[in-house]
Amino acid sequence: MGPILYHGEPNGASLTVLAALAESGLDIPCQPIDMLRGARHRLPGVAEPLALDLGIEGEGPVLVIAGEAMSESVFLAQYLDELAGGCGLQPDDPYAHWEMLMWCRQITERLSPAAALLGNLVHSQAAIAAIPADDFSALTDLIVSDDLRARWQALHQGAVDPAQVADSEAKVDQAAQRCEDKLADGREFLMGAFSIADLVTYSWLAGMELIRPEAFAGRPLTRAWLARVAARPCVVSASALANCAEPLRSWAPGPEINRWG
Amino acid sequence: MTDVTLYHWEPNANSGKPMLALMEKGVPFASHYIDMLQFDQHKPEYLAINPQGTIPAMTHGSRVLTESTAIMEYVNAAFPGPDLMPADAQDRWRVRWWMKFMDQWLGPSFSMIGWSVFVGPRVRERDPEELAAAIERIPLPERRRAWKKAINGDFSAEEMAESRRRVALGVAKLEEELGKRDYVGSNQYSLADINIFNSTYSLPLTQPDLASKEKTPGIMRWLKRVYEREAVGKTWAMGKTDMAARYSLVMEGII
Repeated sequence: MGPILYHGEPNGASLTVLAALAESGLDIPCQPIDMLRGARHRLPGVAEPLALDLGIEGEGPVLVIAGEAMSESVFLAQYLDELAGGCGLQPDDPYAHWEMLMWCRQITERLSPAAALLGNLVHSQAAIAAIPADDFSALTDLIVSDDLRARWQALHQGAVDPAQVADSEAKVDQAAQRCEDKLADGREFLMGAFSIADLVTYSWLAGMELIRPEAFAGRPLTRAWLARVAARPCVVSASALANCAEPLRSWAPGPEINRWG
Repeated sequence: MTDVTLYHWEPNANSGKPMLALMEKGVPFASHYIDMLQFDQHKPEYLAINPQGTIPAMTHGSRVLTESTAIMEYVNAAFPGPDLMPADAQDRWRVRWWMKFMDQWLGPSFSMIGWSVFVGPRVRERDPEELAAAIERIPLPERRRAWKKAINGDFSAEEMAESRRRVALGVAKLEEELGKRDYVGSNQYSLADINIFNSTYSLPLTQPDLASKEKTPGIMRWLKRVYEREAVGKTWAMGKTDMAARYSLVMEGII
């Protein structure tokens, strides 16, 4: 069995990897799966499931190569860039590379859990809550990670923590401000040249315009940057893989909120 | 004369990562010891280097770098010496995956336990007013909350149970990994080994119910192999507490 990329709708982690794959030019087959039906936990041909079972990113895309499940969108983007011999998604200079990694870590640790929480509450919670109890139990029985299962269960039960919502909204606002600050010197993309930092930030932030428009009010540089990234051929190509009208409204349980508060 | 300065605490956890990476690469560096238990990292002279008040931090010429794993990747890329990342792209992905698993999922549980049983009790011995002032100087709100929890012993029973569950699961997965490959994530010594060694070398002493010659022979062989590296000896010699001496005895006892 050859390599295959299993992915959700082009939003969040799936969008990052689909766009990176398009940018790399590599010929890896893509298979859309319905994350909200638990399809990620029933993938065929996985002999080494650790990164699928205990991935940090929640219901993100999974690249299966030689039976090994590979997860985490930033690292998959790096992998695709490196497998292609360097397609320009990572800076060569070590310091510029460090800056990109630092940026990506801020996004994956702070913005992506916040965006996933808000996105799921607004767009997916009702669908998850509507899953009949027996079906939901069968679905969650497939999930190996206790903490990911708990995030599914919270959505099924309609549990909402107002403090987490407020904290998540603040983190979306902060991410937008960080972008605005970064772009203030007139640069076209976050690190200067287009990179994984743009892909991962766009993938988690673009859908927030629909949920938290106030985060983008008065931040014209960020809005213009979002439009530039949306127009990149790799993002256009990835977005064209959508099986729904508005993929930026498509969310599945994501990374966990930092346990330290 | 070197243009690299590392600001670090003990050769342990996050501070130990860039220390060991620099040693492995053979990069000379000026060592600047920051005593975490004295809150040196929140004093103005250190905040002038790293305004976030986190340790470690490294300067290379006029550049300031923070975040231990990202510093290690920089050190590996910026300096000559043995390559601490494998050449194969899938191995590199796996090395990064394990480092994130440690940094963001398993490591915080190690920290919660460590802060609860070690850091919290140690700093609670100090004057309460002095402690309150020290906490107020912490620039990052998240770190301020974390320190308050550690100092006040505010970790709930559920939080501690979850941390212990994660540590047990993580140790089991590490044992499985070391049954598949010689090192963590690949068959060569890499940044993942440095990362994970710095948070797990204490396991045989602190969690003997989880890690022992009988229960986790793969981990014990790997710990011993890493411990015997010359760079580890040099790095541990930079500690100012008795930590290295205590754990050396444990390592020497591993067959």
